[in-house]
Amino acid sequence: MQYEMNFGWTSPIGEVLLGATKNDGGTRRVSYRIGGGSTLPFLEDMSTTPAPLIAFEVCDNPAFWSPIIRDYCGDLVTSVSEWAKKADTDYRADLIRLHLTSTKQRNFSDIASLGPVVESVLSATSLPLIIEGSNEPKIDSEVYQKCGEAGQGERLLLGTAEAGKYRSIAAAALAYNHSIIAQSPIDINLAKQLNILLKEIGVQRDHIVIDPYTGALGYGFEYSFSAMERIRFSALKGDTDLAMPMICSAADTLSIKEVREAGPGQQDELAIQWELFTCLAAAAAGAEILCVRHPGTLAPLRKALAGMKQKAHTAGVH
Amino acid sequence: MTDVESAKKHGEEALKTRIQAIQKPFSYEETAYHLPISYALTGVAVHDRAAVEEVLKKTADNPIVASECLLAEQTAVKGKEPAPYTGFISDTVIRKLGYSLVDGSILGLALIVGTPQGEGSAAAICRELQEKYMLTFLAGNVVPSLSGAGVKLGLDYRLIPLGSSPFYGIHFTDIVARVAMMFGGVTPGDMHRLLAYAAERAKAIVIVFPGLTDEEIALVDGMRVLGFPILSLGDYEGGTWVPATPDDVVRQGMDLKGIKVHVTAIPIPMSCSPAFEGKSIRKEEMYVEFGGGRSPAFELLRMREPSEIEDGKITVIGPEIDAMKEGSANPLGIIIEVAGKAMKKDYEPVLERRIHNFVNYGEGSWHVAQRDLIWVRISKEAVAKGVKIEHIGKLLASKFRMDFPQLLDAVAVTLITDPTKVAEAKKEAERVYDERDARIKGMRDSDVNTYYSCTLCQTFAPNHVCVITPERLALCGAISWLDGKIAYEMSPSGANQPIEKGPVINELTGEFEGVNRFVKKASHGEIERCSLYSVMEYPMTCCGCFEAIALMLPEVNGIMVVNREYKGMTPSGMTFSTLAGTIGGGAQTPGFAGISKNYVLSDRFLQGEGGIERLVWMPAALKEELKERLVKKLADRGLSGFLDKVADETTAETIEALMEFLERAGHPALTMKPLV
Repeated sequence: MQYEMNFGWTSPIGEVLLGATKNDGGTRRVSYRIGGGSTLPFLEDMSTTPAPLIAFEVCDNPAFWSPIIRDYCGDLVTSVSEWAKKADTDYRADLIRLHLTSTKQRNFSDIASLGPVVESVLSATSLPLIIEGSNEPKIDSEVYQKCGEAGQGERLLLGTAEAGKYRSIAAAALAYNHSIIAQSPIDINLAKQLNILLKEIGVQRDHIVIDPYTGALGYGFEYSFSAMERIRFSALKGDTDLAMPMICSAADTLSIKEVREAGPGQQDELAIQWELFTCLAAAAAGAEILCVRHPGTLAPLRKALAGMKQKAHTAGVH
Repeated sequence: MTDVESAKKHGEEALKTRIQAIQKPFSYEETAYHLPISYALTGVAVHDRAAVEEVLKKTADNPIVASECLLAEQTAVKGKEPAPYTGFISDTVIRKLGYSLVDGSILGLALIVGTPQGEGSAAAICRELQEKYMLTFLAGNVVPSLSGAGVKLGLDYRLIPLGSSPFYGIHFTDIVARVAMMFGGVTPGDMHRLLAYAAERAKAIVIVFPGLTDEEIALVDGMRVLGFPILSLGDYEGGTWVPATPDDVVRQGMDLKGIKVHVTAIPIPMSCSPAFEGKSIRKEEMYVEFGGGRSPAFELLRMREPSEIEDGKITVIGPEIDAMKEGSANPLGIIIEVAGKAMKKDYEPVLERRIHNFVNYGEGSWHVAQRDLIWVRISKEAVAKGVKIEHIGKLLASKFRMDFPQLLDAVAVTLITDPTKVAEAKKEAERVYDERDARIKGMRDSDVNTYYSCTLCQTFAPNHVCVITPERLALCGAISWLDGKIAYEMSPSGANQPIEKGPVINELTGEFEGVNRFVKKASHGEIERCSLYSVMEYPMTCCGCFEAIALMLPEVNGIMVVNREYKGMTPSGMTFSTLAGTIGGGAQTPGFAGISKNYVLSDRFLQGEGGIERLVWMPAALKEELKERLVKKLADRGLSGFLDKVADETTAETIEALMEFLERAGHPALTMKPLV
């Protein structure tokens, strides 16, 4: 059966560069150019962009992490650099997303300690890095300054800017030439507004990745999907303020009832399945980066994405 | 007294002479920007005498460039000054400073040069600058004077001693030049961009104490090119330096550059954020309401002289919320008075429309419509938390200050709940509305090539796009073409954008290529075509704020109009609220259009369907409201007596009665081209 594949798109999604190799003044072994798509993902007989990148999420204080992952990974979680290294060499992630959860401790003030954390992860892996700073207005300014400085030259992706807190992240991106994640609460207009605010402060469009906010499958993901779909349609129809790549994290899936309350022996499998299918749905909606926390999710996710890239008949679907 | 003009002349000559003495090559360390000012202005990397000559030629012997070259050479030869002086500051530190500027933790930059007279005056100025989040650079005798007064210096204290003589003030400028290149996207050599960046984005002021030499005066005066105000604290005359007193110099400088200390938290007992904007308050959740046809209510924003209002003052005239019965409807007048250097009277209606957003930002307050049609509710939950009428005033005053820092210096809010006083003030408000409506009278759609959009309501109706033309104001009745134009001037990335109307597709229905293109984009691809003057074909989308609805009645081959205030049944078999529920939400519904009441008076009204002759029914009160102007308009168009042929609820409540009435009256619509 033949479908009409002309949707009247007028312009492609902008590209964002992640990671800097030696040639570009950094120390990463690889850099990625994400975005650039000119139609929806996974269409047959259409020139589409590569499959989404998979980022593995780690943190520097596991007390603020899912117990499922803590149990599965064991002692590994106590050393963020070892953890990141394993994500690179064993789990085969494309990117590492470092959450500075230590900043979540009550009255956290040891900003100076963050520099060495970032540096240790940068030396433990040569993959491009995503860094999530603090979420506390009182320390945001110093934390992002420190992150930006520690990763100077590496072309990091810094997160997460929101309508109420974007100045510090924007400043770090501008000062040290990093890109930033701009998150809005499942709302196309707020996504656009934030991008405009960032533009006004001086952040270039090719330094912004949209986080539409990803609900867990069965727990609001349909809203995320709809928002992503509309963001992508608008972008392809020429709205340059929305024409950026998107990032989705399946983090919420680890705290939903089915996974949280699953019996021992089943919990890991359920966590993996939930992350996997949330990510696949996000990929179908157009995400360029998918973030997972369970080490077991990466292999099946990669396999499934490869299957989606194949022609329908070769993949066994008619 | 030193005469600035003549000192400047002597100084510039002296600088030129001294340049001749430069022999050996030189450079600054720890920078990728060479001599930053020269590099930013000309793109030339200065390291020797030949390059010095080149940049001076390119900048017409600019005293800042000359000073930069001289100081760089002097630093290379003699080395840096000892601590506490910083001398030239490295790129790494500038990056951090720039970070704080973008971040907002520093609001602006100040340079203080010269020799303070007597202890304490410089210290007081510096303390004020610190309190106002300014980063201050110091050069010359002001440094020992501050140390003498026990003032701590250094980056941590936001007081940076650049050097022992005012000449080191040049580093202030090289910092701004580097911030422009690092953060502002200014490419070296793009002089125009640099000057624009320095003038508009770099919030910098210069404070001058007495005792500057001619050369130093030439240098400081040269900074005016970058848009820095030079504030003089005595001993200088002539030139364009701004005389100031130590008590007032910081405020004056910050005012001149429009640097404002932001309000961050609103002191009211409910949360306030755009996140609550789309949340409505249902009847069961409501504690009290105002307006909405249940009680008289209005809102008005007016410009005043700064001396006439006290910033942040909230006045409640009449009973507070605790004296109101739960579930009751009460009268309300919201009067906002604003003052500001950049404020214009033309901006009043545009700012007034923001009351809608701001009241909705409150977790327990809700607002719809505009002018004397407003409808406001306060929730039970909010009242239980202690929210009062006064807090709505605080919310409004703070939000206006926060969102329009460049425009408003003072905002005062008066809320009237006393029935007699509301009635009085409402009369005055109506006079103001009429005055505003009169301003745009006489302008034609064909007179302009640009219309304006309004997507303010996309928070409620995600694909809705209003197209505002001189002869068709927004369907809410609150934003005219002029208001759209002004709103765009004030906020170029806001909800009102210019629309190039482009080539005509259909003159009669008002369809234009440019408008279609814009609407398609702004409706996220949902709406392909939009005709401005037609109800039947591709009418404009409707949000939910329309003052009235125009809809076709196929049985009588005509179009009726019903306004929001009318509660009764209409010949269509539906009430206003039923109709509103059917057509709102950003949809395009052929046969139905949301319109402003005044649009009925426009020559473009129903143009696509044959003009006002199609109008068969409207509520008596609306007829009465428009009568005076409508009768005149109709007479001008040779349609005297037409208004009597238009039915209302007193003559026809049903479609059958309407048919009879129209036939009896000999209404022209009956014999016009069939609508469907």
